[in-house]
Formats: sequence, structure tokens, C-alpha cells
Amino acid sequence: MHYLGVDVGSVSTNIVLLDEEMDVVEKIYLRTKGSPIKAVQDGFKILKANYNDMKIGGVGTTGSGRHIASTLIGADAVKNEITAHAVAALEIDKDVKTIIEIGGQDSKIIILRNGVVSDFGMNTVCAAGTGSFIDRQAERLDIPIEEFGDYALESNTTVRIAGRCAVFAESDMIHKQQLGYNKSDIIRGLCDALVRNYLNNIGKGKEIIPKIFFQGGVAANRGIKKAFENALGYEVFVPEHYNVMGSIGAAIIGRESAEKLGMTKFKGLNLAESKFTSTSFECNDCTNRCEVVKINENNNDIGCFGDRCGKWSHKIAI
Amino acid sequence: MKITAPHLGNVYLAAKALFDGLEIDYIMPPLSNKSAIEIGSLYSPEEICLPFKIMVGNYIQAIEKGADTVIIPGSCGPCRFGEYGEMQMNLLNKLGYDLEFILIDSPGDIGIKELFNRIDRISTKSNKSGRQKIKVLSDAIKIMNLIDKIEGEARYLTGYEEEKGKCKKILNSCIREALKCNNPQEMIQVLKEYEMELNNIKLDKSKNPVKIAIIGEIYTIIEPFSNLYIEDKLMDYGVSTQKKLTPSWWVKNMALSPVKLNSLDIKNAGKEYLSIGVGGHGRECIGEAVLAHENGFDGAIQIFPMGCMPEIVSKAILPTISKDRDFPIMSLIVDEMTGEAGYVTRIEAFVDLLERRKVDALSWS
Repeated sequence: MHYLGVDVGSVSTNIVLLDEEMDVVEKIYLRTKGSPIKAVQDGFKILKANYNDMKIGGVGTTGSGRHIASTLIGADAVKNEITAHAVAALEIDKDVKTIIEIGGQDSKIIILRNGVVSDFGMNTVCAAGTGSFIDRQAERLDIPIEEFGDYALESNTTVRIAGRCAVFAESDMIHKQQLGYNKSDIIRGLCDALVRNYLNNIGKGKEIIPKIFFQGGVAANRGIKKAFENALGYEVFVPEHYNVMGSIGAAIIGRESAEKLGMTKFKGLNLAESKFTSTSFECNDCTNRCEVVKINENNNDIGCFGDRCGKWSHKIAI
Repeated sequence: MKITAPHLGNVYLAAKALFDGLEIDYIMPPLSNKSAIEIGSLYSPEEICLPFKIMVGNYIQAIEKGADTVIIPGSCGPCRFGEYGEMQMNLLNKLGYDLEFILIDSPGDIGIKELFNRIDRISTKSNKSGRQKIKVLSDAIKIMNLIDKIEGEARYLTGYEEEKGKCKKILNSCIREALKCNNPQEMIQVLKEYEMELNNIKLDKSKNPVKIAIIGEIYTIIEPFSNLYIEDKLMDYGVSTQKKLTPSWWVKNMALSPVKLNSLDIKNAGKEYLSIGVGGHGRECIGEAVLAHENGFDGAIQIFPMGCMPEIVSKAILPTISKDRDFPIMSLIVDEMTGEAGYVTRIEAFVDLLERRKVDALSWS
């Protein structure tokens, strides 16, 4: 039996296939590019091509697009990213006490004690220091994102960059470039600034003690990892599947749900061939004027979101 | 003359009954919604807090429907809310509306005589006799107390209900039916029927639901639109919630404040952490957090609008309470920019956290 986890995030859509031992058999990392339905379908095309006969015993979804993904594929569990990340980290190492997770548009801290989440924090109004910002800076400096962090490691001295706000950090970086500082020092300065911002913002008041896991797409950036280690004074571990930890957690939770129920709600890998359309409209039945989204599969409505009262999504209590 | 007043949770039911009973023409603004906040944000100063903006939206939507007299709740401090009355009058005047304002301030600041003068300006529009007016007023207060009680019970019993969604269904239809009534007596009757229905729903006492106290700034916890309907969401998750600050609490608190007998339990509970008032309901927030822990709640969620000074003070104290008592507390800050996705993620994760703490071996699903 195999288990599937789908994490539809703002920047990437990740799908993992786990075996009975919860080991990763396949991981697919795709750019969401604003169309979660297409991203999920693309991922399923790859799965279908390689694992058409595989028996799936449970499916979980997570990420900001977890509800839409669940409607498409028929998930056994729909879980928020914080819980999913914590579950995945605990599966690898029961002793993890702090998780630093930085994704496309979110950064989070999860504090675990005795194998249970005891506190967490999440960025609220600012995306400085998240993946999208680093992506943009790499592009601006014409450095492939994969190598961006390594530049920082080459630097011996750091240039102080104002990291409070993404827009000002960028202006400050440009300013430092015009003054003639070299690229690697500036990138190191940026990594330090982002870590400073993270610790002052999300990490404020949180007890950060080892063992520390660093996961999410940004964990690929070795410059940021090093900057965290320097700032915290502890070793920071990047798990092997750092960029798909959310989906691993979702798969584990999906498995538990399916086993509890004795069956899976999974619709199968064929959805790659289905034709999905989504339409949105403003419901004018009351003054709330909810923006309702309707998902249609091969001319059948399969789900609605966005209505508060439950009139369209057929929730029980109206 | 057509009177209007801003929204605050379910108070519109009592207001409707009051004006119906007094036979005064009134316009109820549409329930706070996206347009209200768009209008409010457009005309309000950028840095002002969320309640101000939603209220301005309420006024203007009512004015567009024909209201010409605006009742503005004020309180002369001690947080910025105290100046809102003056600022909102100024703002509406500048927009060129020809309006009459009735600013209701606390008797401690303007004197009881002036307060009666101002209330008189409303009640003189009614042709009812003095005795009838007093009866209508007491009915309106009764309605406010009843709906607060029904709402509180429905939200608390959710965790124990046998048929999922039953409490929410009753609460929603109670409000819907009450709104159809055209006089106070009829409304009281409807509310009492629903109160009875709620008392008779099937409960599973063996359940041990997650219980969360909702604490924080009074407007954002009472006006559901401003907190993105957090209590409804928690009801959907089968979580029992309770909030102490309700409109009826506020009235009682206000009435008892001149003799300093108001909310003694809350003040006492919190005095170890905060012994003086810091404006708004910052002190109450601390006391409620302690009480919630003592009363067996699993956690608390503090909600306040961005930039709310009293609640910023209490937010800084809450982690100490949380640590001392091993009691999880999460703070949520709302403003017109609040994105629902991140907000929901936090609430869900917090509920997960509390669930896991309750039953260590409980599965994640």
C-alpha cells in the first residue's frame, strides 16, 4: 500500500508518494504559477505515467490550496501546513524541538516539546525573507536560485542590509552595489538580514532550543542556513526532503484518517485526464456578498468554496 | 427623522425592538460587509483602527438608504475609541452630509443630566407616554440579554452536541426569525422559544471537546465581521467557545462602574499580572485569560485590531500567563488587510495543538 501527500502552496505544488514504512518513493516539485488545478493535474500526469498500478491507501492535502486540492483528488485528510510540517519532522526525528520553516510566502516557527506542538508563529503582514523575495533578488542579480546561497558562503565579511522590509532591502542592496561592494558580500548581508528579521519577528519570545530543523524551499539556501547557525549558536539540520515536508506530513495524516475510516476517499490517478473549470461569482442573497468559487469536473460540479453560510458548499448548518 | 446607529454584534436586534417600540423611524445599516469596510477605509485616516473604519462604512451605507440622524457611541477614552465620536462627526460633515448627531458618552464624562438630555433628543421623537417608553427600553435591554445568552450557550454547547451543526443551526435561525418581528414583545417571545429549543437539544456529556476562551478588544470580538467570523469557524470544528465581553456585560459593567463594583471577578483574577487599567479593556483581557485557565478552558485566543494600544500591552503580558500556567494563548491581529488563508491556518493549527495536548496519544486526523 502507498500513501499520497499533496501540498499546494503559493509558489510550489509538491506531491510525495510514501511506502508502507513512510519512506519517500517519489517526490514531485512543481511551480504552482497561480493555477493550483493545473499544477495538481500536471503532478498526477507524472504519477500516472510511472505508478499507474500502484494501490493508494490514503491521501492528505495541505498548503494554502489544500481545500481545492482535496476537492479535486478526494482527500482523506485536509490539514493546515503547521501541523503537517510538525508531523513530518517528528516522523524523521522524535527529538526535534524547533522547526524553522520558510516557504514561498510564509515563514513559520514551530516549537515542539515531548513530541507535541506547544507553540507556533507565522508571519502576518510581511513577506520579507520568504522564498519569493529571495527568488526575485537572485533573478535581479542574474544568479541561478540554486547557487544563490553558495555565494554567501564565499564571503568573508558581511555588508549590513536593511532587512525589515523587502522593498527597502532591495533599495539598500542596490545602493550597496552602486558603492562597489562585491556580490557575495552583499548576498551574505542579505542572508544575515533575513535571519535577523525572522528572529526578531516570528521568533520573538519563542524558546529556540536544539534540535532545530530547517525546512521549506528556502532551506536549500546554504547561506541562510549558515546565517541561522551563526545567529543561534546551534547546529541547524536540513532534512533530506526539506522541500516536501508539508506533503510528507499530509500523507502521514491522510494514512491515519483512511485507516481510521477503513477506506480511502481517493478518486484515483485519472484526474490528469479530467477537464476542470472553475468559475467564480458574487452571491447576492445577503449583504455578505461572498465571492463563491465553483469547481467543475467534466461538466459535473464537484465543489464550492468561499460561501460563509454554506448554501453553495452544502455545509450542514445554515 | 430617520435614525441610524453602527453595528455591534447582535445589538441590532435590541435596537430594532427599541425603535419599533417607540415608533421612531430608523434605518438599519446592512450588516457589516465588504462594502462597509471599503467605504470606511476610503474615508478614514489610514492609521486608524478597524472598528472606526467599519463604523464609518455602516454610517454611510445607512445614510445612502435615507438616514439623517446618527447615533454615535462614544466613551471619552480611555483608548482612541473615546475620540471617535468627535472625529466621525467631523468626517461625515466634511463629506457634505446634512446630519444630526446624537453622541452617547458615558455619564462619568458628560454628567448624567447631559446624558439624559441627549437620550431625550431621541425619545422626544416618539409619541409614546413616559411609562410606555420605559417599558420599551426595558424590553430592549431584555432582548439584548436574551440574545447574548442564547448566543453564548449555543457556542459553548457546540462541543457537546450529538447532532453536528445543531447549535449553529438554532442560533442562525433564531437571529433570522427575531429579525422578522415588528414589536419588542413578539421578539422576546421568539427568543424565548429558541432559548427553550437550545435547552432541549441532545447533548453527549461524555464528550470532552476543546474549549477556547475568546478574549481581547471588545469591538473585534463582538462584531463577527471584524474577526472573520472566528466563532462560527470554531463551531464548525466542534470547539466550545466562550466570551465574557458581550454587549450585556458592557451595559452591566458601565452601570456598576460609578460605584466601582464592576467586573470584580475579572479584575481580581488578573491583578497579579496587571493591577491598573491600561485603557480599553486591556485589564479585562488579562483577567479573562486567568479566569479561562481556572475555569478549565484549554486555551485562549486574543483578538484585537492592528494598532490597538491597550491590547498591545496585554499581548505583552499574556506569554507570562501562558508560561506560568502552561496555558496556550494565541494572539490574532485583524485589520482590513487580514488575509483569510493565513488566519484560518493559524486557528486550525491552534485547535490541533490544543487537541494534541488534551489526549497525548490522540491521532492527528
